[in-house]
Amino acid sequence: MPPDSSSSSPTQIQDQSRHRSLQLLGILCGFTAGAWLGAAEAPTKLVSIGVSPIVISLVMVVGVFLARWSLPALVLGTSSVRADIRRAPHLILWALLAGCLWAVANTLTIFAIRDIGLSIAFPLWNSNSLLGIFWGFLFFNELRQAGWRRWAGVLGGAAIMCAGATVLAIASASQSPSAHSLNGVWAALGAGVLWGTMYIPYRKAYLTGMNPLSFVTFFTFGELGMMSALAFGYIGISPLWHVLVQARGILFWLMLGGFIWVIGDLFQQYAAKYVGISRGIPLSNTNQLWGLLWGILVFGELHGKSHTTYLEVIGGSLLMMLGVGAIALSSATGKEQQHWKEASQRESERYGVSADYVAARFEGRQAAGEALPRRSAIDWLLVAAASAVLLVFAAMARVPQFSFHWAPALVLTATLLLLLFLCGRKLWRTTRFH
Amino acid sequence: MDQTNPSNPPRSRAATILTDIHFWVPAAVLLAGLLLLKFIH
Repeated sequence: MPPDSSSSSPTQIQDQSRHRSLQLLGILCGFTAGAWLGAAEAPTKLVSIGVSPIVISLVMVVGVFLARWSLPALVLGTSSVRADIRRAPHLILWALLAGCLWAVANTLTIFAIRDIGLSIAFPLWNSNSLLGIFWGFLFFNELRQAGWRRWAGVLGGAAIMCAGATVLAIASASQSPSAHSLNGVWAALGAGVLWGTMYIPYRKAYLTGMNPLSFVTFFTFGELGMMSALAFGYIGISPLWHVLVQARGILFWLMLGGFIWVIGDLFQQYAAKYVGISRGIPLSNTNQLWGLLWGILVFGELHGKSHTTYLEVIGGSLLMMLGVGAIALSSATGKEQQHWKEASQRESERYGVSADYVAARFEGRQAAGEALPRRSAIDWLLVAAASAVLLVFAAMARVPQFSFHWAPALVLTATLLLLLFLCGRKLWRTTRFH
Repeated sequence: MDQTNPSNPPRSRAATILTDIHFWVPAAVLLAGLLLLKFIH
């Protein structure tokens, strides 16, 4: 039975109110993450010349690397990152693992799209949300004693979103499958398994109290290291350098895509922290919907297509929104929250992390006696260095010829900024970005 | 391989990590992913 608020103590009522507030925050973060992750595709659409997909991925990861160090430095300062790492140094290993998983999964998706096309590949790797729900249940007590309605909401919502994503992928696909279709199926399934498993390190870090801004700064070393190793291994250092020099005019757009992607990913991390991976992953998977909106409205991608295609887009979008609604209405109850706390205490005891720190961070607060995050000269230096690198590549960039519709681009950009402002403000007011 | 046993006596961080299933599952999946990539490339 859920606790009866009429007979609860004021502390219990305050706790319940805090949990509700954090759940709402997590849902808003998941939704904002989807919008920004989808928008990250926009700059990459400017790149239409024949550059190897591995090179495209590598350059985007360089932009990601710049953002993953400069944004945390700007928001809280690196002193906060150092303090988190001193408390839970073991999590560096999980951050590196997660980064490596991301890089391999991303490369697999490139091969999957090449071999079987987006329409088949996307639904296969989108299964990551179902695997995330399984890992969340198995390892981190998510959906324990949640009741059949919430199970139905989360599982049903994720399944409906998969169906919607499939319809959207069919509508937006323009590529014919190649002769290596079985390889493509394996690649897409593999990417889904890797991405679904990547959320184990995420959830472990956040149940241990680590700030998402701290986790991503180490995650990115795994990401860049693995992506560089794959690029050097598959292309070779000298040919890679040659390709980069040849393509210097477009590198900025790819790095910008990576930078925007990080903003979305940061919100995704906060969603994983406050609503768990079983709800956070499906919510941020709405990025496909936003990516398609940019493609159709700004880049005119479906121009001249049949009515059937437009019907598929509308139907797929409605299905995705229905799935999002089902998951958003299936927030964790008091009993499930108690199981999350038990998983959190288990991590604290196992790795000797202060119970006060873990409990406070679980509630989205600073622990008693914890120093307030402060920015130093190093932080401003990091921000200046990242901005300078982007400016150098911006100066080299050339704007390709393409069809671009300014009015919808401005509306979508305004929507993104509004979501960034609203979600950022709520994060600050509720958790001070913890 | 234990996932939770707070009553264990204190041990080194490396031993704690190496007996944590949360480490081995992602590590095994990463290895499998790299093998798959090598196979399909």
